[in-house]
Amino acid sequence: MTGVPITGCGVLTAAGEGPAALAAPAVAAAGAPAVRVDVTGLYEDLPRPTASAIAGFDVRATLGRKGTSFFDRATALAIVACGHAVRDAGLDLETADPARIGLVLGTTTGSLGSTMDYSRETLVQDRPYLVNPVLFPNTVMNCASGQAAIWYGFKGVNATVAGGPLAFLQSLRYAMNALDRGFADTILVGAVEEFTPQAAWAAELAGARPAGEAAAVFVLDRHARADGPALGEVLAVTTGFSPTGGPSVTETLTGCVRRALARANVSADEVGAMATGDLPGETAESDAVTTVLGRQVAHLGVGDALGDCRAATQAVALARVLAEHRCGDAPDGGLTVITGRGADGAVTAALVRGWRDAGTHRG
Amino acid sequence: MSRVVVTGLGPVSSIGIGVTAFLGGLRAGRSGVSPIESFDASGFPHRHAGETKDFRPEAVLRRLKPEAWGRSSQLAAAAARLAVRDAGLDPGGSWTGGAGAVIGTTSGESQVVELLVAQQLADGFAGMDPEAIRRLPAERLAYAVAEELGLTGEALTLATACSAGNYAIGYAYDCVAGGEADVMLAGGADSVCRWAHAGFYRLGALTERECRPFDAGRSGILTAEGGAVLVLENADHAAARGARVYAEVLGYGVNCDAGHMVAPDEDSIAACMRIAHGNAGIRPQDVDYISAHGTGTPANDLVEARAVRQVFGDGAPPISSIKSMLGHTMGAASGFGAIATALAIAEGFLPPTINWTTPDPGMPWVDPVPNTARPAEVRVAQNNGFAFGGNNAITMFGAVR
Repeated sequence: MTGVPITGCGVLTAAGEGPAALAAPAVAAAGAPAVRVDVTGLYEDLPRPTASAIAGFDVRATLGRKGTSFFDRATALAIVACGHAVRDAGLDLETADPARIGLVLGTTTGSLGSTMDYSRETLVQDRPYLVNPVLFPNTVMNCASGQAAIWYGFKGVNATVAGGPLAFLQSLRYAMNALDRGFADTILVGAVEEFTPQAAWAAELAGARPAGEAAAVFVLDRHARADGPALGEVLAVTTGFSPTGGPSVTETLTGCVRRALARANVSADEVGAMATGDLPGETAESDAVTTVLGRQVAHLGVGDALGDCRAATQAVALARVLAEHRCGDAPDGGLTVITGRGADGAVTAALVRGWRDAGTHRG
Repeated sequence: MSRVVVTGLGPVSSIGIGVTAFLGGLRAGRSGVSPIESFDASGFPHRHAGETKDFRPEAVLRRLKPEAWGRSSQLAAAAARLAVRDAGLDPGGSWTGGAGAVIGTTSGESQVVELLVAQQLADGFAGMDPEAIRRLPAERLAYAVAEELGLTGEALTLATACSAGNYAIGYAYDCVAGGEADVMLAGGADSVCRWAHAGFYRLGALTERECRPFDAGRSGILTAEGGAVLVLENADHAAARGARVYAEVLGYGVNCDAGHMVAPDEDSIAACMRIAHGNAGIRPQDVDYISAHGTGTPANDLVEARAVRQVFGDGAPPISSIKSMLGHTMGAASGFGAIATALAIAEGFLPPTINWTTPDPGMPWVDPVPNTARPAEVRVAQNNGFAFGGNNAITMFGAVR
């Protein structure tokens, strides 16, 4: 079956800008060590001197000074990633109907840095209300999607999905439904997480992996011509929850993968790769995928190479999958299962196809 | 596409917990506003809010361990538990297989954030409590509902600020209408927090004691909290079990201003109404009642009224704001609006806008249902939700055909 075409990708990670950086051996090699940069110049109070942050990211250098001075890092990264995705898709914002372009972004808590700093001001100022009103919108979780919509003029459906490690596939599901129901013709869908002291310390104290930083945005175009350019397509996204005392997480994820294949009318032997949220040494998700496929397939996940990118994890995984088709060794038209699981029993799976030459497809 | 009906209501609000108390509050025009107790408000010039002071999570929750979850998650899960009870769905019954939860929020676990900030100030970042950090992710609002009810379907938290409840209802409606699920729990939840109180005050959008939407003297919102969840059910599924039906979900509309993060946009809101009407397959003249976003700020209410005028012309139906009673419950607000709308349809009355004294000469076409609930037949109703970020979402409900 034909899915929803992905016509563009914009991605920024510690590995660099653009999808090609994700197919590089430093990231893509099995068990590649984390890409880390010196972050002591970025903030003073950090648990570690290095992190998988986007080195040298400068809002003003990238977007200019006008209208950007109050952007937090998450908002700025989202806007930049949207811009890359728009350009990659060749989406002409001058001629497109803005009411038919939507945006769906995944997050965990919005900008924890902006929110904690704002809350802190209510305690440290002489009066609790002496906060900066201009910064107040930065405390709402839909700040990045709202500001990106303003920046580019996207007036269609605009949603923010709080899903932590599952946020991107949940966003993708939301976007697919919105396209299906006619709320937009084109939807940019992605996820962003910023590196801040708050994020770094929260990860450190919770015993999680060191916090990373990433933004990845894709252009979905319902009406992309069947023979038009596309990087790939989304065939199905499924999700489920495993409550205490219910089916296990593995069973639930296995069910998700099965449903994704069934929905796409794809048989297990057509799937050539997986990109799971498993970290080195973990097999919970890959076991579920292998159970459904009945054999081992290539792993295209990012593993531990980019730190814990939380909500952006699966978006970076999709960017890498597409990059492996576009500039790596993955076969033209190959199918990949992407999976994820959260801390509380939620799981997601997606089935995507990647094309080698975005300019010449397909049927 | 299957028809989707509302079969259960779960309000956890400052004017009542559970549908009977909430309905009584709406009919009586009760105010849920009181002096703030959840944080030290003594330094603020305005010290009132709509807190759900009677909420005892342990009195409602059966499976969820309250101590492992933040207040917003508790509010969401309790509201969902009440909604399921109201719907007469068997706890742990086979309906839970594939049933899902979609919860909207503005600030997620804001009280957990403020706890971490207090710890940071006392002992530096290293002093933050790991257990509190685990309660922080906003995704847990939907997961709390799924865990409390044992649901195995989709669990999704939508963080589209103050219209998020409507976003949640709209998406859940699609899930049921499209056959993804027979039952979805949908609504919103938020907790009162100091930083939002401060932010709204500094925006000049916070009033002192009485929220007075559509009144000439209106001067702002009151921050508030609560959990508001509805059971959306496949109409055939509901009929097969003989469920009581409050209303039918007819559809919804969503769009984005893409103009300003905070200021509402008349044309964009009017466009959203037209999208909602189109999606629901109804005409403006079919609408008998509008549950307003109606925050009580001078700007919101004027822009909302003008957008209504744009779409409805001289035939605007009565439009009332339950924020006059509840305050602004943020991500729960349009969930409460949806509950009030479903009750208006089922019970044949219009909830009032309380604290109303003086007509605004700038919006003579507005009938705000002043101060006293009014008997009325409501066949089609519109529930408005607007938000920071320009995230407009409007849900449409109808009487059972």
